[in-house]
Amino acid sequence: MAVREVAPVQLDTNRLEQLAESGYYNPYTMFDWPDAIEPDLPWMSENLTTLAGTPMWDELTREQQIALTKYESINFFSLNIHGIRELMSEVVMRIHEPTYANVSEFLHHFIGEENEHMWFFAKFCLKYGGKLYPAQPTLKAGSVDHLSRVAREMIVFARILIFEEIVDYYNAHMATDQSLPHIAREINRVHHVDESRHVAFGRMIFTNLLEQVTERDPEEVPVLAEYLEDYLQYSIATLYNPAAYRDAGIPDPLAVRRRALEHPARAEAHEQVLKRTRKFLSKAGVGREAIK
Amino acid sequence: MTNEPMQAVREFILGRNPRLGLLSDDLDLIDSRAINSLAFVEFIFLLEELTGEPIDPEDLDLDDFRTLNALEARFFKKEAAR
Repeated sequence: MAVREVAPVQLDTNRLEQLAESGYYNPYTMFDWPDAIEPDLPWMSENLTTLAGTPMWDELTREQQIALTKYESINFFSLNIHGIRELMSEVVMRIHEPTYANVSEFLHHFIGEENEHMWFFAKFCLKYGGKLYPAQPTLKAGSVDHLSRVAREMIVFARILIFEEIVDYYNAHMATDQSLPHIAREINRVHHVDESRHVAFGRMIFTNLLEQVTERDPEEVPVLAEYLEDYLQYSIATLYNPAAYRDAGIPDPLAVRRRALEHPARAEAHEQVLKRTRKFLSKAGVGREAIK
Repeated sequence: MTNEPMQAVREFILGRNPRLGLLSDDLDLIDSRAINSLAFVEFIFLLEELTGEPIDPEDLDLDDFRTLNALEARFFKKEAAR
């Protein structure tokens, strides 16, 4: 197949740029970092842990439950860090490509803000948890090389969007959870505010690129729908880290992970997390019902 | 002894790729995208559970994952892995 160019992406991002400018803050001075997290407080909302709603949660001692919130919070922020790192590098490579000249201004805000998010997530993990979890193992082979160029471009921004929407579900909830330590609530709140602009931009650029795919290669739409569904499932599964179970003192972490992922209460929780994104994808014509 | 875990490996791949129908021992799982980047993490966890040993993500050779034959040699025949 001949290489098909991607048409310039034209979007009205003025309002988002204005909001990014007016809401600009110094992340390095705005947080009041306590010396330690208060003992006995959960580090993340208990109902957002990966064992919530299953008998496996009830079987844990209170000590293990608190430890699980600690290590799953470190896992959640570590996923953010690695996700941001990988996706931001894709944006950096595109920032002065002619295709993205019209949105380059907003992409500068995006990269700047994402860099700052990466910093405060890492600060939290390293200061209070003493570590980050490593990035998930990756397969060094192109899984989307068979798709057209515009479809591959769409996937880059779709991954960013989906990732941000999933994370935002957690941030939005934890931003107001009074059971959490103040610093944990604050980090989630600040991220939630910035991400609302990124999600708005992500949906705009996703829609533009998907329209280009539909016009040029309509037969690729079901293939993309399948990829996006796989990416949703993949993203959810990364929250279930056996290393976090191990660190929380839970025996047989791989079996626990498998049992949790298969549990009906978790399937229902996943539907809630993905509800907004699924609705958007379906409306755009690339929901799971479009898979052939 | 080696058949049972390899059956689980086959079921994992076929479960994610129902269109494959048949799964030959020498099918290139990477080039055919039967195992893609999104399935890879799950696949590593499955192999860890089946072998009972952790897999170092820094020490992965793509060729160990190319075919069922290669997977069996690397993960389920101890003497071959040495």
